[in-house]
Amino acid sequence: MDSLVVLIPLMPLAAALVIGLGHLFGAISGEADETLTADIASWSIIMSSLLTLTLLIADWLGKNSASYTVGHWLNSDTLDISLNFITTGFNVRLAALFSVLLAIVTHFSINYMHRETGYHRFFFILSLFSFAMLLLVLSGNAVGTFIGWELAGLCSYFLIAYAYDRPVAAANATRVFVTNRIGDAAFVLGVGLSYAWAGSVNWDIIGAASAQLTPGEATSIALCFAVAAFAKSAQLPFTPWLARAMEGPTPSSAVFYGAVMVHAGVYLIILLKPVFEHAPLAMAVVAIVGLITALYAFVVGLTQTDVKSSLIFATSGQLGLMFLECGLGFWRLAAWHLCAHAAVRGYQFLTAPSLMHNVQGLDTAPTNKVPTWLFVASLQRFWLDPMTDWALVKPVRGLAHDLSYFDDHIVDPMMGGAAPAIRAISSLAQLEERVIGAHLDNDSDTFAQGSGLAGKLTEWTAAVLHWFEDRFVLRGIGKNAINYGRRLGHIANKFEQSVLRPRYLVLFVFITLLVAF
Amino acid sequence: MGILSILLWTPAAGVLLLALTPGRNIQLIRYIANLFTTIAFLLVCWLLSIYNAHDAGLQFGEYYPLNPKLGSAYALGVDGLSMPMLALATLLSSIALLASFTVAHSIKGYHVCILLLEFGMLGVFLAQDWALFYIFWEVTLIPLFFLIGRWGGKRRHAASLNFVLYTMGGSIFMLISLLAVSQYDLEHGGSLMSSMHQAAQDMPRIEQVLVLLGFLIGFGVKMPVFPLHGWLPLAHVEAPSPVSILLSGILLKMGAYGLIRAVVMLPEAALLLQPVLIFLGLFGMLYGGLLAWRQSDLKAMVAYSSISHMGIVLLGIATLNEAGMTGAVLQMTAHGLIAAALFLLVGLLYERTHTRNIQDYSCLIQVMPRFTLFLTLALLAAMGLPGSVGFIAELHTLIGSFRIFPNVGLGIALMAFFSVSILIGAAYALRTISLLFTGPGKPRMQQLDDMTAPELLAAGILVSGIVLFGLLPAPLLELSAATLSQMNATISQRIL
Repeated sequence: MDSLVVLIPLMPLAAALVIGLGHLFGAISGEADETLTADIASWSIIMSSLLTLTLLIADWLGKNSASYTVGHWLNSDTLDISLNFITTGFNVRLAALFSVLLAIVTHFSINYMHRETGYHRFFFILSLFSFAMLLLVLSGNAVGTFIGWELAGLCSYFLIAYAYDRPVAAANATRVFVTNRIGDAAFVLGVGLSYAWAGSVNWDIIGAASAQLTPGEATSIALCFAVAAFAKSAQLPFTPWLARAMEGPTPSSAVFYGAVMVHAGVYLIILLKPVFEHAPLAMAVVAIVGLITALYAFVVGLTQTDVKSSLIFATSGQLGLMFLECGLGFWRLAAWHLCAHAAVRGYQFLTAPSLMHNVQGLDTAPTNKVPTWLFVASLQRFWLDPMTDWALVKPVRGLAHDLSYFDDHIVDPMMGGAAPAIRAISSLAQLEERVIGAHLDNDSDTFAQGSGLAGKLTEWTAAVLHWFEDRFVLRGIGKNAINYGRRLGHIANKFEQSVLRPRYLVLFVFITLLVAF
Repeated sequence: MGILSILLWTPAAGVLLLALTPGRNIQLIRYIANLFTTIAFLLVCWLLSIYNAHDAGLQFGEYYPLNPKLGSAYALGVDGLSMPMLALATLLSSIALLASFTVAHSIKGYHVCILLLEFGMLGVFLAQDWALFYIFWEVTLIPLFFLIGRWGGKRRHAASLNFVLYTMGGSIFMLISLLAVSQYDLEHGGSLMSSMHQAAQDMPRIEQVLVLLGFLIGFGVKMPVFPLHGWLPLAHVEAPSPVSILLSGILLKMGAYGLIRAVVMLPEAALLLQPVLIFLGLFGMLYGGLLAWRQSDLKAMVAYSSISHMGIVLLGIATLNEAGMTGAVLQMTAHGLIAAALFLLVGLLYERTHTRNIQDYSCLIQVMPRFTLFLTLALLAAMGLPGSVGFIAELHTLIGSFRIFPNVGLGIALMAFFSVSILIGAAYALRTISLLFTGPGKPRMQQLDDMTAPELLAAGILVSGIVLFGLLPAPLLELSAATLSQMNATISQRIL
């Protein structure tokens, strides 16, 4: 029965390809084809979930070997990445739960998204996301998991920016994606370290090799994956991205941030249980971060006034608790907590819009049992976003600005980049005028006219002198001197400002240290 | 405290009093400013009456050492060279204030600046110590910077900045020259003009030439001499018309005045540089005239004609003989009166119509007959018509420059150039008259008011001065004659 596992992620991928290509080539478009798209998406995920359930039953009956290898994906020296899947235990149970939830959400979306612009786009992304999640939980090696991980992040980006014509949505999507990239970087680093120290990227080998790792190596690997998990599961200090992700449509919120994707972090920790058990420091970090996140989410959740925000901070808090449980070593509890939470939160997100109808008119009493400072901090979400802006976004933006300035003012002039067209000649007639030296925009030419030989002579001499005066005396000495002086002062100011900026001070400190050591 | 100190500090006292006056009380401010310029003018009139025109030396001298170690002193005095300039400075300050009734904003600051400017100008003409001279020379810059930069036209900021940068740049060369001369004044160790004259004699010839070149740049910027005049068109066009009056009427003369003093101090170097100076003077005349002929902007035309007229002054100085020097000094006075009258009249016309383009005007004689009379007289004087003071000055300069050439051919060539530049001057003056006052009437130009009483008074004084000194030049000539002949004696003695 192991070979079924290949079909599980393949079904939604096929659906995504059909919808995507069909929409791209115009075969699927408009309201008329909504049914077709919906059928493809929902049937593929239903088939997928049936397959998963079959696999689950087979696992219970003990018919599965632990893994199934399809073939080699790439080989290089000692690096061997195969296309393999895990077919037993927690992974399969989680895959079954996720696929059922995905099927429910997909089915829910059919009516919910009816006549929305981008209907086909939505189902394409949802199918792609289903593929990514199923690959994530079923893949037997870290690279496959990472592909799913990345694809899920990308789909999240697409769906937050679902209404891409709204600047807020687009900005939030970018922010979320960039925040998640920090976790991705940690993930890649973790994969690299695993390969270097444990000798493989297969999860089972990593787990088995963890006993031979030194505590330092185990801690490094565990911390890398822990950071990746923190980013994906919106733990501190990455929590703010979750609130920004609410820009997407409700079904996507439910499936990404309520039921499925946010749990990927916890899943990763549980998957790496052997490594973590050899790294007490990493366990402690996971526990502390989880605890703080839970407290943070609780306090901030107190002051939320809209249903989606309340749910999102509740999610964040519950995830924090799961991390705490992992950190304290209650792995089984964390796994159960994960499954239960996924089901409940998925339901809550899906009913959130109708909840608004149901509670209309009811009094929602504001909380006033906390001290004022906590209340303010809660309202401001502990200033996490402004702090990130100040510490990361602003310096990076400043650096980019400086580099762009360097490009515009030094590289472009040196290489002869395109000049602004304002002062360029726009017509052939103007070129002619300039060539023969007639200044038709200057009315003194028509004014100062002489007749007869003496008059013409005077006129020409005066024109020559005027040219001299204008070119050298007025413009050359007077105006240009001021302009050059001004430019020089501007450059000096610029230099002064740049030197005083913190990032350059830090750079100088680094250079000094480098020279010193 | 002598009469010269009283004269010098009168505008400064006015500045102090104005500073204490509340800014809202516009009438009081105008009254105080006018009062103090009038007092200064009356003081100069009194000075003229007691001035002994036959005494060539310094009169009413005052001397207080300021810094004995450096040898600088508060030394004042007048002679035949500075006396007409003093009269011109006080007269034109009064007239500029008469023309300032239309200044609408920041009236207090404006009058403070004008009085401060008068203080600086009087200081330049009264100082008999080069250090003091230099201080007052720089003092005039500050109020002018603000006058052009705050109350000027559209491009006023560029104009004021340009003006100050040019003049400061020139001043540096002047300062270096002064320091170079004072190096040789070991005996007195001072910067008095009389002692510096002695010191300059001890300098090597080459250093004298270099020092004179430094002076030529420093004073040439202000005068202006041909390649250094870049600030002038912009500053004159952008400045409010009362400031244009002071600029062209007196500020340019400061340059010529300083240059005469420098040439008398270094006659040998001046003889060496004589061809250059003559060329610059002649070329400046032609250059300014031709460019003035090209301008359709009235103020720019008058500004360029100033360059042309100051070329005559430079030519007169370059002759290094009595007739030429007399011509130069006369032309300074003449141009002071004529340019002031032109800027005054053009300025009040601009206030009525808000256009300076000559082509916009037509047939003003019907609506503004008094204005027509005054402007026509001023323009005719600018082209050097006999009967105006300009003619006397140009005649002297022409005679003086004719004398310096040993052979007749060069003299005739020079005369030809001179005449051509006068012809060009006549061309633009007559064209302006015909375009402004004749031709078909334009509807836009039919509702203009003729001159008001203060304007009439101001223009009347200037134009009557032009005509009076043109018909009876003797008093004006006598005023400077003794000093000029003594200077000439010094120069010819040193040259030989």
